Amino acid sequence: MSTVPHRTMTTVLTLVVPGALLGSTLAVAAAWSDQLPDPVASHFGSEGPTGYSSLAGLLWPTVAVSALVAVGSWVLAFFWGRAALVRRVAAGTAVGVSAVMATIVIGILDAQRGLTDAADTGDIAVVTVVALVVGALAATLAAVAMPGDPHQPAGQAVPDDAPRLALGAGETATWVAVAASRAMLVGGWAAAAFVLVVSVLTQKWSLALASLALVVVVLATARFTVVVDRRGFTVRSALGWPRVVVPLDEVLRAEVVQVAAVSEFGGWGYRVGRGGRVGIVLRSGEALQVERTGERSLVVTVHDAATAAALLNTLAARSRVL
Amino acid sequence: MLLRIDPTSPEPLFVQLAGQVRAAVARGEVTVGERLPGARELAASLDINLHTVLRAYQDLRDEGLIELRRGRGAVVTAIPADNAELHAAIDALVRVARSLGITPQTTTALVKEAFR
Repeated sequence: MSTVPHRTMTTVLTLVVPGALLGSTLAVAAAWSDQLPDPVASHFGSEGPTGYSSLAGLLWPTVAVSALVAVGSWVLAFFWGRAALVRRVAAGTAVGVSAVMATIVIGILDAQRGLTDAADTGDIAVVTVVALVVGALAATLAAVAMPGDPHQPAGQAVPDDAPRLALGAGETATWVAVAASRAMLVGGWAAAAFVLVVSVLTQKWSLALASLALVVVVLATARFTVVVDRRGFTVRSALGWPRVVVPLDEVLRAEVVQVAAVSEFGGWGYRVGRGGRVGIVLRSGEALQVERTGERSLVVTVHDAATAAALLNTLAARSRVL
Repeated sequence: MLLRIDPTSPEPLFVQLAGQVRAAVARGEVTVGERLPGARELAASLDINLHTVLRAYQDLRDEGLIELRRGRGAVVTAIPADNAELHAAIDALVRVARSLGITPQTTTALVKEAFR
Protein backbone atom coordinates (compact mmCIF):
# COMPACT_ATOMS: atom_id res chain seq x y z
CA MET A 1 0.00 0.00 0.00
CA SER A 2 1.53 3.29 -1.10
CA THR A 3 1.38 6.41 1.05
CA VAL A 4 -1.23 9.08 0.49
CA PRO A 5 0.25 11.69 -1.92
CA HIS A 6 1.02 15.36 -1.21
CA ARG A 7 1.02 15.07 2.59
CA THR A 8 3.36 18.06 3.01
CA MET A 9 1.09 20.32 0.96
CA THR A 10 -1.89 18.96 2.89
CA THR A 11 -0.26 19.94 6.19
CA VAL A 12 0.70 23.38 4.88
CA LEU A 13 -2.79 24.16 3.55
CA THR A 14 -4.91 22.63 6.31
CA LEU A 15 -2.78 23.46 9.37
CA VAL A 16 -0.03 26.01 8.67
CA VAL A 17 -2.08 28.53 6.64
CA PRO A 18 -5.15 28.45 8.94
CA GLY A 19 -2.77 28.61 11.93
CA ALA A 20 -1.08 31.70 10.49
CA LEU A 21 -4.47 33.36 9.79
CA LEU A 22 -5.72 32.70 13.31
CA GLY A 23 -2.36 33.67 14.87
CA SER A 24 -2.37 37.00 13.02
CA THR A 25 -5.97 37.60 14.12
CA LEU A 26 -4.99 37.06 17.75
CA ALA A 27 -1.94 39.34 17.31
CA VAL A 28 -4.08 42.11 15.79
CA ALA A 29 -6.68 41.74 18.55
CA ALA A 30 -3.93 41.94 21.19
CA ALA A 31 -2.42 45.05 19.59
CA TRP A 32 -5.84 46.74 19.54
CA SER A 33 -6.91 45.62 23.03
CA ASP A 34 -6.30 48.98 24.74
CA GLN A 35 -8.33 50.86 22.09
CA LEU A 36 -11.36 48.57 22.45
CA PRO A 37 -14.35 48.97 24.79
CA ASP A 38 -14.77 46.38 27.55
CA PRO A 39 -16.92 44.39 27.08
CA VAL A 40 -16.89 44.29 23.26
CA ALA A 41 -19.97 43.72 21.11
CA SER A 42 -19.98 40.11 19.91
CA HIS A 43 -23.45 39.56 18.45
CA PHE A 44 -25.35 41.82 16.09
CA GLY A 45 -28.92 42.24 14.97
CA SER A 46 -30.43 44.57 12.39
CA GLU A 47 -30.55 47.41 14.99
CA GLY A 48 -26.91 47.10 16.14
CA PRO A 49 -25.19 45.07 18.86
CA THR A 50 -27.33 42.49 20.70
CA GLY A 51 -24.71 40.61 22.68
CA TYR A 52 -21.50 41.50 24.52
CA SER A 53 -18.55 39.59 25.89
CA SER A 54 -14.97 40.08 27.02
CA LEU A 55 -12.36 40.22 24.24
CA ALA A 56 -11.10 36.73 25.17
CA GLY A 57 -14.69 35.47 25.22
CA LEU A 58 -15.09 36.67 21.62
CA LEU A 59 -11.78 35.25 20.41
CA TRP A 60 -11.62 31.77 21.90
CA PRO A 61 -14.79 30.23 20.46
CA THR A 62 -13.83 31.58 17.03
CA VAL A 63 -10.31 30.17 17.25
CA ALA A 64 -11.57 26.86 18.65
CA VAL A 65 -14.11 26.33 15.82
CA SER A 66 -11.57 27.22 13.11
CA ALA A 67 -8.91 25.00 14.68
CA LEU A 68 -11.34 22.08 14.92
CA VAL A 69 -12.30 22.46 11.25
CA ALA A 70 -8.61 22.70 10.27
CA VAL A 71 -7.62 19.58 12.21
CA GLY A 72 -10.61 17.67 10.84
CA SER A 73 -9.65 18.68 7.29
CA TRP A 74 -6.04 17.67 7.91
CA VAL A 75 -7.09 14.21 9.15
CA LEU A 76 -9.35 13.73 6.10
CA ALA A 77 -6.69 14.73 3.55
CA PHE A 78 -3.71 13.17 5.35
CA PHE A 79 -5.24 9.71 5.77
CA TRP A 80 -7.86 9.50 2.98
CA GLY A 81 -6.61 12.08 0.48
CA ARG A 82 -5.75 9.71 -2.36
CA ALA A 83 -8.13 11.47 -4.74
CA ALA A 84 -7.42 15.10 -5.63
CA LEU A 85 -11.01 16.05 -4.83
CA VAL A 86 -10.64 14.94 -1.20
CA ARG A 87 -7.46 16.99 -0.72
CA ARG A 88 -8.97 20.03 -2.43
CA VAL A 89 -12.16 19.92 -0.37
CA ALA A 90 -10.08 19.65 2.80
CA ALA A 91 -7.72 22.51 1.87
CA GLY A 92 -10.60 24.74 0.73
CA THR A 93 -12.63 24.08 3.89
CA ALA A 94 -9.74 24.65 6.31
CA VAL A 95 -8.48 27.84 4.67
CA GLY A 96 -11.98 29.14 3.81
CA VAL A 97 -13.39 28.74 7.32
CA SER A 98 -10.37 30.30 9.03
CA ALA A 99 -10.33 33.19 6.52
CA VAL A 100 -14.04 33.91 7.19
CA MET A 101 -13.53 33.76 10.95
CA ALA A 102 -10.40 35.96 10.84
CA THR A 103 -12.12 38.57 8.64
CA ILE A 104 -15.23 38.71 10.82
CA VAL A 105 -13.26 39.08 14.06
CA ILE A 106 -10.94 41.75 12.66
CA GLY A 107 -13.90 43.53 11.02
CA ILE A 108 -16.08 43.75 14.11
CA LEU A 109 -13.13 44.72 16.32
CA ASP A 110 -12.09 47.41 13.84
CA ALA A 111 -15.62 48.85 13.99
CA GLN A 112 -15.25 49.21 17.76
CA ARG A 113 -11.80 50.77 17.96
CA GLY A 114 -11.78 54.05 19.87
CA LEU A 115 -15.28 53.51 21.31
CA THR A 116 -15.87 53.63 25.05
CA ASP A 117 -19.27 51.90 24.86
CA ALA A 118 -19.64 48.94 22.50
CA ALA A 119 -23.36 49.77 22.10
CA ASP A 120 -22.30 52.60 19.75
CA THR A 121 -20.86 50.15 17.19
CA GLY A 122 -22.05 50.98 13.69
CA ASP A 123 -23.44 48.74 11.00
CA ILE A 124 -21.39 45.57 10.36
CA ALA A 125 -23.32 44.26 7.33
CA VAL A 126 -20.33 45.14 5.13
CA VAL A 127 -18.08 43.01 7.34
CA THR A 128 -20.26 39.94 6.71
CA VAL A 129 -20.24 40.43 2.95
CA VAL A 130 -16.48 41.07 2.86
CA ALA A 131 -15.86 38.00 5.06
CA LEU A 132 -17.88 35.74 2.74
CA VAL A 133 -16.10 37.05 -0.36
CA VAL A 134 -12.68 36.73 1.30
CA GLY A 135 -13.57 33.22 2.49
CA ALA A 136 -14.72 32.11 -0.97
CA LEU A 137 -11.59 33.51 -2.60
CA ALA A 138 -9.27 31.98 0.01
CA ALA A 139 -10.99 28.58 -0.30
CA THR A 140 -10.69 28.69 -4.10
CA LEU A 141 -7.02 29.65 -3.93
CA ALA A 142 -6.29 26.84 -1.47
CA ALA A 143 -8.12 24.29 -3.64
CA VAL A 144 -6.19 25.44 -6.72
CA ALA A 145 -2.87 25.43 -4.83
CA MET A 146 -3.37 21.79 -3.87
CA PRO A 147 -1.65 19.64 -6.51
CA GLY A 148 -3.88 17.26 -8.53
CA ASP A 149 -3.28 13.60 -9.19
CA PRO A 150 -0.52 12.63 -11.62
CA HIS A 151 -1.36 10.25 -14.47
CA GLN A 152 -0.93 6.75 -13.03
CA PRO A 153 -1.23 4.04 -15.70
CA ALA A 154 -2.16 0.61 -14.39
CA GLY A 155 0.57 -2.00 -14.29
CA GLN A 156 -1.72 -5.01 -14.28
CA ALA A 157 -4.39 -6.53 -16.52
CA VAL A 158 -8.11 -6.14 -15.92
CA PRO A 159 -9.06 -9.21 -13.82
CA ASP A 160 -10.81 -12.03 -15.68
CA ASP A 161 -13.68 -12.11 -13.20
CA ALA A 162 -14.56 -8.47 -13.90
CA PRO A 163 -17.75 -8.41 -16.04
CA ARG A 164 -17.22 -8.04 -19.81
CA LEU A 165 -19.28 -7.18 -22.84
CA ALA A 166 -19.02 -9.21 -26.06
CA LEU A 167 -17.51 -6.64 -28.40
CA GLY A 168 -16.23 -7.62 -31.84
CA ALA A 169 -12.59 -6.91 -32.68
CA GLY A 170 -13.51 -4.10 -35.06
CA GLU A 171 -16.37 -2.72 -32.97
CA THR A 172 -16.37 0.51 -31.00
CA ALA A 173 -19.02 1.35 -28.45
CA THR A 174 -20.22 4.21 -26.29
CA TRP A 175 -22.44 4.06 -23.26
CA VAL A 176 -24.23 7.27 -22.28
CA ALA A 177 -26.57 7.88 -19.38
CA VAL A 178 -27.84 10.69 -17.22
CA ALA A 179 -27.52 10.57 -13.45
CA ALA A 180 -29.92 13.07 -11.96
CA SER A 181 -31.73 13.73 -8.73
CA ARG A 182 -35.31 14.69 -9.39
CA ALA A 183 -35.69 15.89 -5.80
CA MET A 184 -32.63 18.13 -6.04
CA LEU A 185 -33.70 19.50 -9.43
CA VAL A 186 -37.30 20.21 -8.43
CA GLY A 187 -36.30 21.58 -5.01
CA GLY A 188 -33.50 23.68 -6.48
CA TRP A 189 -35.61 25.20 -9.26
CA ALA A 190 -38.46 25.88 -6.82
CA ALA A 191 -36.09 27.60 -4.37
CA ALA A 192 -34.50 29.68 -7.16
CA ALA A 193 -37.93 30.74 -8.50
CA PHE A 194 -39.15 31.60 -5.00
CA VAL A 195 -36.10 33.75 -4.24
CA LEU A 196 -36.45 35.47 -7.61
CA VAL A 197 -40.13 36.28 -6.96
CA VAL A 198 -39.28 37.65 -3.51
CA SER A 199 -36.49 39.70 -5.09
CA VAL A 200 -38.89 41.25 -7.62
CA LEU A 201 -41.60 41.91 -5.03
CA THR A 202 -39.26 43.51 -2.52
CA GLN A 203 -37.05 45.20 -5.15
CA LYS A 204 -34.01 43.77 -3.35
CA TRP A 205 -31.81 43.01 -6.31
CA SER A 206 -29.09 41.37 -4.23
CA LEU A 207 -31.59 38.51 -3.80
CA ALA A 208 -31.68 38.04 -7.58
CA LEU A 209 -27.98 37.21 -7.32
CA ALA A 210 -28.80 34.59 -4.68
CA SER A 211 -31.35 33.12 -7.10
CA LEU A 212 -28.71 32.98 -9.84
CA ALA A 213 -26.30 31.33 -7.41
CA LEU A 214 -28.93 28.64 -6.68
CA VAL A 215 -29.35 27.98 -10.41
CA VAL A 216 -25.58 27.53 -10.79
CA VAL A 217 -25.44 25.20 -7.77
CA VAL A 218 -28.31 23.06 -9.14
CA LEU A 219 -26.66 22.84 -12.58
CA ALA A 220 -23.34 21.86 -10.98
CA THR A 221 -24.65 19.24 -8.56
CA ALA A 222 -28.01 17.74 -9.50
CA ARG A 223 -27.57 16.44 -13.06
CA PHE A 224 -24.58 14.62 -14.56
CA THR A 225 -23.89 13.04 -17.92
CA VAL A 226 -22.03 9.75 -17.59
CA VAL A 227 -20.08 8.39 -20.57
CA VAL A 228 -18.05 5.22 -21.08
CA ASP A 229 -16.12 5.21 -24.34
CA ARG A 230 -12.70 4.80 -25.97
CA ARG A 231 -11.43 7.73 -23.90
CA GLY A 232 -12.41 6.18 -20.59
CA PHE A 233 -14.99 7.10 -17.99
CA THR A 234 -16.29 10.68 -17.94
CA VAL A 235 -18.79 12.26 -15.55
CA ARG A 236 -19.75 15.85 -16.28
CA SER A 237 -22.29 18.10 -14.56
CA ALA A 238 -24.94 19.95 -16.55
CA LEU A 239 -22.86 23.09 -15.99
CA GLY A 240 -19.73 21.43 -17.44
CA TRP A 241 -17.92 21.66 -14.13
CA PRO A 242 -17.31 19.66 -11.97
CA ARG A 243 -16.03 17.06 -14.40
CA VAL A 244 -14.23 13.81 -13.62
CA VAL A 245 -12.32 11.78 -16.21
CA VAL A 246 -10.80 8.37 -15.57
CA PRO A 247 -8.66 7.42 -18.60
CA LEU A 248 -8.87 3.75 -19.66
CA ASP A 249 -5.30 3.03 -18.55
CA GLU A 250 -6.15 4.08 -14.98
CA VAL A 251 -9.17 1.76 -14.75
CA LEU A 252 -8.42 -1.33 -12.65
CA ARG A 253 -11.95 -2.72 -12.69
CA ALA A 254 -15.54 -1.55 -12.86
CA GLU A 255 -18.50 -3.17 -11.18
CA VAL A 256 -22.06 -2.67 -9.98
CA VAL A 257 -22.48 -1.83 -6.31
CA GLN A 258 -25.37 -0.88 -4.05
CA VAL A 259 -24.91 2.51 -2.40
CA ALA A 260 -26.56 3.89 0.72
CA ALA A 261 -26.33 7.67 0.28
CA VAL A 262 -26.62 8.80 3.90
CA SER A 263 -24.67 6.09 5.71
CA GLU A 264 -21.84 5.79 3.17
CA PHE A 265 -21.59 9.37 1.86
CA GLY A 266 -23.45 11.44 4.45
CA GLY A 267 -25.94 12.74 1.91
CA TRP A 268 -26.41 13.49 -1.77
CA GLY A 269 -24.31 15.28 -4.39
CA TYR A 270 -20.65 15.24 -5.40
CA ARG A 271 -19.19 13.90 -2.19
CA VAL A 272 -16.37 12.32 -0.29
CA GLY A 273 -17.48 9.08 1.33
CA ARG A 274 -16.09 6.78 3.99
CA GLY A 275 -12.44 5.85 3.44
CA GLY A 276 -11.89 8.67 0.91
CA ARG A 277 -14.12 7.13 -1.77
CA VAL A 278 -15.39 9.81 -4.14
CA GLY A 279 -19.05 9.61 -5.11
CA ILE A 280 -21.53 11.31 -7.35
CA VAL A 281 -24.44 10.14 -5.29
CA LEU A 282 -27.87 11.35 -6.37
CA ARG A 283 -29.91 8.57 -4.78
CA SER A 284 -29.39 5.29 -2.93
CA GLY A 285 -29.26 1.98 -4.81
CA GLU A 286 -27.62 0.75 -8.00
CA ALA A 287 -24.33 2.46 -8.82
CA LEU A 288 -21.28 2.04 -11.01
CA GLN A 289 -18.03 1.76 -9.04
CA VAL A 290 -14.74 2.33 -10.83
CA GLU A 291 -11.60 1.13 -9.06
CA ARG A 292 -8.81 3.38 -10.17
CA THR A 293 -5.01 3.28 -9.81
CA GLY A 294 -3.53 5.08 -6.80
CA GLU A 295 -6.04 3.22 -4.57
CA ARG A 296 -8.80 5.59 -5.58
CA SER A 297 -12.37 4.71 -6.31
CA LEU A 298 -15.24 6.58 -7.85
CA VAL A 299 -18.94 5.77 -7.45
CA VAL A 300 -21.74 7.16 -9.62
CA THR A 301 -25.41 6.30 -9.11
CA VAL A 302 -26.78 5.39 -12.55
CA HIS A 303 -29.27 2.91 -13.96
CA ASP A 304 -27.98 0.10 -16.19
CA ALA A 305 -24.65 0.25 -14.36
CA ALA A 306 -24.05 -3.40 -15.32
CA THR A 307 -23.74 -2.52 -19.02
CA ALA A 308 -21.49 0.45 -18.21
CA ALA A 309 -19.22 -1.69 -16.00
CA ALA A 310 -18.99 -4.45 -18.63
CA LEU A 311 -18.13 -1.98 -21.41
CA LEU A 312 -15.58 -0.11 -19.29
CA ASN A 313 -13.81 -3.37 -18.29
CA THR A 314 -13.81 -4.50 -21.93
CA LEU A 315 -12.42 -1.22 -23.28
CA ALA A 316 -9.82 -1.02 -20.47
CA ALA A 317 -8.68 -4.58 -21.16
CA ARG A 318 -8.49 -3.83 -24.88
CA SER A 319 -6.42 -0.66 -24.29
CA ARG A 320 -3.83 -2.66 -22.28
CA VAL A 321 -3.20 -5.04 -25.18
CA LEU A 322 -2.60 -2.29 -27.73
CA MET B 1 -27.89 3.76 -23.67
CA LEU B 2 -25.35 1.50 -25.34
CA LEU B 3 -24.41 2.43 -28.91
CA ARG B 4 -22.05 0.15 -30.80
CA ILE B 5 -20.77 0.47 -34.32
CA ASP B 6 -18.38 -1.56 -36.43
CA PRO B 7 -16.29 0.50 -38.87
CA THR B 8 -15.06 -2.73 -40.50
CA SER B 9 -18.61 -3.79 -41.42
CA PRO B 10 -19.77 -3.08 -44.99
CA GLU B 11 -22.95 -1.45 -43.62
CA PRO B 12 -22.61 2.38 -43.69
CA LEU B 13 -21.85 3.88 -40.26
CA PHE B 14 -24.88 6.21 -40.24
CA VAL B 15 -27.16 3.22 -40.89
CA GLN B 16 -25.52 1.32 -38.04
CA LEU B 17 -25.81 4.28 -35.68
CA ALA B 18 -29.46 4.96 -36.53
CA GLY B 19 -30.17 1.27 -35.98
CA GLN B 20 -28.46 1.39 -32.57
CA VAL B 21 -30.51 4.39 -31.45
CA ARG B 22 -33.70 2.71 -32.68
CA ALA B 23 -32.79 -0.43 -30.73
CA ALA B 24 -32.00 1.58 -27.58
CA VAL B 25 -35.38 3.30 -27.81
CA ALA B 26 -37.12 -0.03 -28.42
CA ARG B 27 -35.37 -1.56 -25.39
CA GLY B 28 -36.58 1.36 -23.28
CA GLU B 29 -33.08 2.68 -22.53
CA VAL B 30 -34.22 6.13 -23.67
CA THR B 31 -37.76 7.39 -23.23
CA VAL B 32 -39.93 10.13 -24.73
CA GLY B 33 -38.65 13.62 -23.94
CA GLU B 34 -35.12 12.43 -23.25
CA ARG B 35 -32.28 14.04 -25.10
CA LEU B 36 -29.82 12.06 -27.20
CA PRO B 37 -26.13 12.95 -26.83
CA GLY B 38 -25.10 16.02 -28.86
CA ALA B 39 -23.93 15.15 -32.38
CA ARG B 40 -20.48 16.65 -31.85
CA GLU B 41 -20.06 14.87 -28.53
CA LEU B 42 -21.19 11.53 -29.94
CA ALA B 43 -18.93 11.85 -32.98
CA ALA B 44 -15.92 12.45 -30.71
CA SER B 45 -16.96 9.62 -28.42
CA LEU B 46 -17.29 7.04 -31.22
CA ASP B 47 -14.39 8.51 -33.19
CA ILE B 48 -16.52 9.01 -36.30
CA ASN B 49 -17.30 11.99 -38.50
CA LEU B 50 -19.76 14.62 -37.24
CA HIS B 51 -21.68 14.38 -40.52
CA THR B 52 -22.17 10.65 -40.00
CA VAL B 53 -23.95 11.34 -36.71
CA LEU B 54 -25.99 14.18 -38.24
CA ARG B 55 -27.00 11.94 -41.14
CA ALA B 56 -28.16 9.23 -38.69
CA TYR B 57 -30.09 11.80 -36.62
CA GLN B 58 -31.72 13.22 -39.77
CA ASP B 59 -32.87 9.73 -40.78
CA LEU B 60 -34.33 9.21 -37.32
CA ARG B 61 -36.08 12.57 -37.54
CA ASP B 62 -37.55 11.68 -40.94
CA GLU B 63 -38.93 8.50 -39.35
CA GLY B 64 -40.55 10.58 -36.61
CA LEU B 65 -38.55 8.95 -33.81
CA ILE B 66 -36.75 12.12 -32.75
CA GLU B 67 -37.08 15.85 -33.16
CA LEU B 68 -34.07 18.06 -33.91
CA ARG B 69 -34.22 21.43 -32.22
CA ARG B 70 -31.75 24.21 -32.55
CA GLY B 71 -29.83 24.52 -29.29
CA ARG B 72 -31.63 21.62 -27.66
CA GLY B 73 -30.23 18.80 -29.75
CA ALA B 74 -32.08 15.59 -30.55
CA VAL B 75 -35.08 14.75 -28.39
CA VAL B 76 -36.93 11.44 -28.52
CA THR B 77 -40.55 12.14 -29.52
CA ALA B 78 -42.11 8.75 -30.17
CA ILE B 79 -41.74 5.26 -28.88
CA PRO B 80 -42.44 2.54 -31.43
CA ALA B 81 -45.39 0.30 -30.54
CA ASP B 82 -44.67 -2.49 -28.09
CA ASN B 83 -42.51 -4.84 -30.08
CA ALA B 84 -42.10 -7.63 -27.58
CA GLU B 85 -43.60 -9.94 -30.18
CA LEU B 86 -40.95 -8.92 -32.70
CA HIS B 87 -38.17 -9.48 -30.15
CA ALA B 88 -39.54 -12.94 -29.38
CA ALA B 89 -39.61 -13.74 -33.11
CA ILE B 90 -36.02 -12.50 -33.50
CA ASP B 91 -34.89 -14.63 -30.55
CA ALA B 92 -36.56 -17.64 -32.17
CA LEU B 93 -34.95 -16.85 -35.53
CA VAL B 94 -31.48 -16.61 -33.97
CA ARG B 95 -32.01 -19.87 -32.11
CA VAL B 96 -33.07 -21.73 -35.25
CA ALA B 97 -30.26 -20.22 -37.33
CA ARG B 98 -27.68 -21.28 -34.70
CA SER B 99 -29.08 -24.81 -34.43
CA LEU B 100 -28.90 -25.19 -38.21
CA GLY B 101 -25.38 -23.75 -38.28
CA ILE B 102 -26.37 -20.85 -40.56
CA THR B 103 -24.08 -17.82 -40.22
CA PRO B 104 -25.43 -14.42 -39.04
CA GLN B 105 -24.51 -12.96 -42.45
CA THR B 106 -26.58 -15.55 -44.31
CA THR B 107 -29.46 -15.17 -41.88
CA THR B 108 -29.63 -11.37 -42.24
CA ALA B 109 -29.33 -11.73 -46.01
CA LEU B 110 -32.33 -14.08 -45.96
CA VAL B 111 -34.29 -11.64 -43.77
CA LYS B 112 -33.50 -8.75 -46.11
CA GLU B 113 -34.50 -10.92 -49.08
CA ALA B 114 -37.82 -11.72 -47.40
CA PHE B 115 -38.62 -8.00 -47.14
CA ARG B 116 -38.37 -7.47 -50.92
